[in-house]
Amino acid sequence: MDELLAGIEQLALVRALKASFVAYPIVNALHIMSIGALLTSVWLMDLRVLGAFRSLPYAAFTALLRRTAFAAFAGALVTGSLLFSVRASEYAAMPIFLTKMTLILLAGANFLVFMRRAKGGDEPADGTVTILAVLSLMLWTSVLFAGRFIGFLN
Amino acid sequence: MQSPFNGVRSVALTAAVMLAAATAAYAHHGWSWTEEGFFELRGKITAIYIGNPHATLDVDAEGEVWRVDLAPPSRTIAAGFTEEVAKVGDEVTAIGHRSRDETEKWMKASRIIVNGKTYDVYPDRVPPA
Repeated sequence: MDELLAGIEQLALVRALKASFVAYPIVNALHIMSIGALLTSVWLMDLRVLGAFRSLPYAAFTALLRRTAFAAFAGALVTGSLLFSVRASEYAAMPIFLTKMTLILLAGANFLVFMRRAKGGDEPADGTVTILAVLSLMLWTSVLFAGRFIGFLN
Repeated sequence: MQSPFNGVRSVALTAAVMLAAATAAYAHHGWSWTEEGFFELRGKITAIYIGNPHATLDVDAEGEVWRVDLAPPSRTIAAGFTEEVAKVGDEVTAIGHRSRDETEKWMKASRIIVNGKTYDVYPDRVPPA
């Protein structure tokens, strides 16, 4: 594991990013952009599930936001991996980083359970779905906060 | 569905509490987390990192390992401090400001002296001559 992390730090692309005056802040900005889009789409989607903005058609609204959330998560994953790579061994040893990864896994698992429950794209009338939506809001928001703390604890 | 906004209200409350906690713990970017007066640390370098988001040294001072933050890499390198001018085991003097949290072995340096050479990574924040 230690060798793998040290190896990541030595990749040519990572070494270039480590010292770059321009690339690193751009990757950082794109990460912020991705997580902003992710959190916004998750919040709007979950609030719609919880019964907000009832005038908007449920299926179309959630389908659009789910696609936005997927694209944003992919962007956050790529840019986040790049930010991680420049000091991989240091970040991997930080409890707050591991907390963030655990929260992402929990949020992902919550999403899979939600998708099994909410088949068909109809307005869910089920109390379990309400709990899952609230969990989703709390987990993704916690991921954001945990991520922000990485920058202040290393 | 019945009264879903009970859930929403508790989420909003949770978010507010977390925001308050995050604000209270704000530190380690800029200089706001450091003390006013100049602080000097002498010791042996145990690790050197020159890269984003900012360069750091780990310094063993009488058995305690300190983390010394420097400037972002471009600024640190522009000050002449590169991976070639110092190595693990070298004696270093770091001058700057230490963390306001006394339990933290952590400082941000504006000047470091290694192998008889002085590098001002924050030239506008060095002690008066």
